[in-house]
Amino acid sequence: MKFGTRLTVVAAAFVAMFGVLGIRLWFVQVAEGAQSAEIAEEQTWVRIDTQAPRGDIVDRSGVMIATSRFVPRVVVDRRFVDPAQKDALIQRLSGLLGLPASELDALYEDAGLNGRFPVTEVSTDTAYRISEQISDLPGVSIEKVPERVYLVGPTMAHVVGHLGLPDVADIESRPELDPNLRIGKLGVERVYDAVLQGVPGYSELRLNRQSEVVEERLPVPPLQGATLQLTLDLRLQEVVEQALASGVVLANEVKNDDRASGNEVNHDASRAAAVVLDVTNGEILALASVPDFDPSLFVGGLDSATFQALNDERAFNNLAVSGLYPPASTFKVVTYVSAVEDNLPLADENLDPSSGLIHCNGTLRLPGFEEGSQQVFHDWYTVDKGWLDIHAALEQSCNIYFWSIALGTWRANKLTDQESIIQEWARDLGYGSFTGVDLTGEAQGIVPDRALFDAWKQFQVENPEAPARLEPSRLDLPEGPFLGGDLMNLAIGQGELTATPLQVAQSYAAIANGGFVYQPHVVSSATARDGTVIFEAERELVREIDIDPATVQSILADLNRVVTRGTASTAFASFGASLNNVGGKTGTGQTIANNDNHAWFAGVGPIDSPRWVVVVLIDEGGSGGRVAAPVARHIMQYLMGEIPDPIVEGEAAD
Amino acid sequence: MTLLAHPDAPPAISDRRRNTPDRVLFVTTLALSMLGLLMIYSATRVGLERDNLPASFSMERQMIFVAAGLILFVALSFVDYRELGQLAHIIYLGMIALLALVFLFPAVKGAQRWFDLGYFQLQPSEFSKTACVIALAAVLGRPQVKLRWGRIGQALAVIAVPGILIFLQPDLGTMLVFAFLTIVMLFGAGISGRQILVLSGLGVALLATVAQLGVLRDYQVDRIRVLMDPTIDPTGIGWNIRQSKLAVGSGQLTGKGLFQGQQTNFQYVPEQGTDFIFTAVGEQLGFVGGILVVAAFLVLVWRLLVISANARDRFGALVALGIAAMFVFHVFVNIGMTIGIMPVTGLPLPFLSAGGSSFLNFSIALGIANSIWLRRSPVPVPV
Repeated sequence: MKFGTRLTVVAAAFVAMFGVLGIRLWFVQVAEGAQSAEIAEEQTWVRIDTQAPRGDIVDRSGVMIATSRFVPRVVVDRRFVDPAQKDALIQRLSGLLGLPASELDALYEDAGLNGRFPVTEVSTDTAYRISEQISDLPGVSIEKVPERVYLVGPTMAHVVGHLGLPDVADIESRPELDPNLRIGKLGVERVYDAVLQGVPGYSELRLNRQSEVVEERLPVPPLQGATLQLTLDLRLQEVVEQALASGVVLANEVKNDDRASGNEVNHDASRAAAVVLDVTNGEILALASVPDFDPSLFVGGLDSATFQALNDERAFNNLAVSGLYPPASTFKVVTYVSAVEDNLPLADENLDPSSGLIHCNGTLRLPGFEEGSQQVFHDWYTVDKGWLDIHAALEQSCNIYFWSIALGTWRANKLTDQESIIQEWARDLGYGSFTGVDLTGEAQGIVPDRALFDAWKQFQVENPEAPARLEPSRLDLPEGPFLGGDLMNLAIGQGELTATPLQVAQSYAAIANGGFVYQPHVVSSATARDGTVIFEAERELVREIDIDPATVQSILADLNRVVTRGTASTAFASFGASLNNVGGKTGTGQTIANNDNHAWFAGVGPIDSPRWVVVVLIDEGGSGGRVAAPVARHIMQYLMGEIPDPIVEGEAAD
Repeated sequence: MTLLAHPDAPPAISDRRRNTPDRVLFVTTLALSMLGLLMIYSATRVGLERDNLPASFSMERQMIFVAAGLILFVALSFVDYRELGQLAHIIYLGMIALLALVFLFPAVKGAQRWFDLGYFQLQPSEFSKTACVIALAAVLGRPQVKLRWGRIGQALAVIAVPGILIFLQPDLGTMLVFAFLTIVMLFGAGISGRQILVLSGLGVALLATVAQLGVLRDYQVDRIRVLMDPTIDPTGIGWNIRQSKLAVGSGQLTGKGLFQGQQTNFQYVPEQGTDFIFTAVGEQLGFVGGILVVAAFLVLVWRLLVISANARDRFGALVALGIAAMFVFHVFVNIGMTIGIMPVTGLPLPFLSAGGSSFLNFSIALGIANSIWLRRSPVPVPV
């Protein structure tokens, strides 16, 4: 090969190499160029989110319950920290903030390579000192971050709720959550978290390789969350909470008296709940639970000891919606409605067939299951109350009358589809199912009947290791585990029947308003900061029940008799001129052995045109007439525009 | 072979006028140097201002090298290149001495490549490239009937000594330049197909041994890994290649305009004034600017091959060919590295990258080439 030829080969190879460069340049710059330009542009910008203040929470008349303020906080952004400066930075910050360097170091490492993390909230003084030295603190900034403020302390705590850091389940269900930012964990703070949170703002900065800001875009400010208007009335709520607290004190005074007079007392009362419900639309006007807590404690994070102490006394339980109790004699209105509407037969034992009256003499004796044996049901009173009709029976809370209804029904309808007719009324009125109230932790409650007992039996047979619901003797009964005695228990609100105070309130409201079961709720509207209404709670009819208006009138009149002449008459003795326009029913719930009775009162007013229902429950408070009725009376006086009298002991009645 | 024959090859010696310098070569080089000054200014001004230095500091420094390079070009044009051939052994020994002397100086960035002369850091490895071309041409340029193994062995021995010194610095880029020069010059010197096969076998064996011994440093292995898969560790070892490719790519067809472009101005690209100067060209002047630069180098290489074809003697032809190979390799590896087809090695882009040693070396090389051109034979000699 001649040199010239060799040179041509070399030239061809060189041209090929330049050709490769040219083609690759075309590919990188023209084919892929637009994409590269975009990536190159993107990578120089960093986005810094600014937290949005949570929306306000106001009561039904606009009184501020919870709002947000801005507090200075120290934030470190690792994107602006040269790794070589890290240790010096942490030492300086440790000195300025008085925090251990190891703690800051851990925060720093946890934040990740491009992490941005809040260090601590600081006083205005500290913020000022830090901002003076900010040029020596790369990546450190003082930011005004929004913080929740609760203006009424523990008042309405269980409705308002509290904040907390999202847990694993929260992040799973809402992946957009920032694990470092608090969300609502209880009450409307949780249920309405999405509307309260608002929209975070952001600023965009352009950085050079040395992480210096070279350009800034106009920041997008955060949008505060929507304002939540509650159906609750702050003043009424305060009255209710004070009355409830006094009720607990009263219950314990009564217990002390009982102890002094040698009666058995198992526990002091410490827990109670109350609900005031608007019967015309399901709005909850007040809702209280004792013990309570101050949601402010959660704003900056709660230390575990305080949290544990509150949790141990079950302060976070909203008993009004999550407490399950036998509704006791307050349930007699349900049995009453069923008996009147369905014309239920009375048992023969204490019945005078000519007058249709029942002898409320304190004992109901039935023939036993075995030869020669008798079953005796003892009523709560010892003095013979005479021959009573259903009106007087409700007024006097005569168990024998309501047992007779159940027993008569059982004997007439046992094993037919009419057997559970009282339970059907209960279910229609809302017992045994979630009300769907817009609060956390609601309990369902139980309305027992044959189907439920059969299911329990089946479970028990299949799972002999599991805790038994039914006594073993019931499993072998030829007609199934559900007995007449269970229906008799149900008729007076005892036995396996359980309900929350809100369910009791809902059932009274539905009876008082003529059969309309409304969805109870605590929020009436959510309004964005710009004034647009995000939603407005409308009156939501869950179910309409067919009740004869005459029956309604009859019950309302009888409920008035309870407070004027019956079991709550002592508690209502001080009621003013409007006494004739209110009514209610006492209840004394028996529970497991070694627990004191639960005191109930369910009140309605005004009788001529029902507007509200008041339900008071004092857990292990004792007699409803003695302890719960005076609390309800106090609240009802306020609702009727009277000056509420002090809460004093009423008559010990069921 | 007419392709590379001098275009206006005269019919007779008597008609020829006095030879003129290679104007195309000179003008192209000058244009590249001027563009280099502009790009150096554009790529370094932000960083210099950060360090409270005048924005034009690097450019002004480079202007001195351009002036010095011009002088060297003219001076070497006047020197008869054949004298260089006779002095080849002195040049060679001087180069070896300089390459050995760098080890007496402290390491910079983990490598011993520089003499610190105060204002100027002399980098002997740059000059060794042209020196090796001369030394190889001196060995291979002796008259021969056929390239024999003895001659090839001599050539390999000549390149091995500076090669080992460079390897110790270490300077992988320069070693690759040596390898490329040797291959191209051996080919030009008439290596046979069989010899190529044997040498290729030896080369593969050598590479395998090198790989086996783990002689490559971690960072060198990383650079090759990143080339294979540009997505690995984009903030660490993948940073350079990713950012330079983004810079060139974001220039698109016509570029963002002179002094524009955040990849350069926000200093996302490393070594912007020196090894990665082409990213500034790509980002600011786009594909149009980039392809013009490539074309200018193609013109340069075309002129060098024409000079080789027209050289008076075999030594001159091989020197011009070696110089052409040196340029091609630098351009290909340097630009290729910024667009993701070559690993990152510290090879400068001739006349554009800031840096005195490389600029002067390339000026000397072209001065010698011009000298060969000026003394070309009236008719091409058979070589």
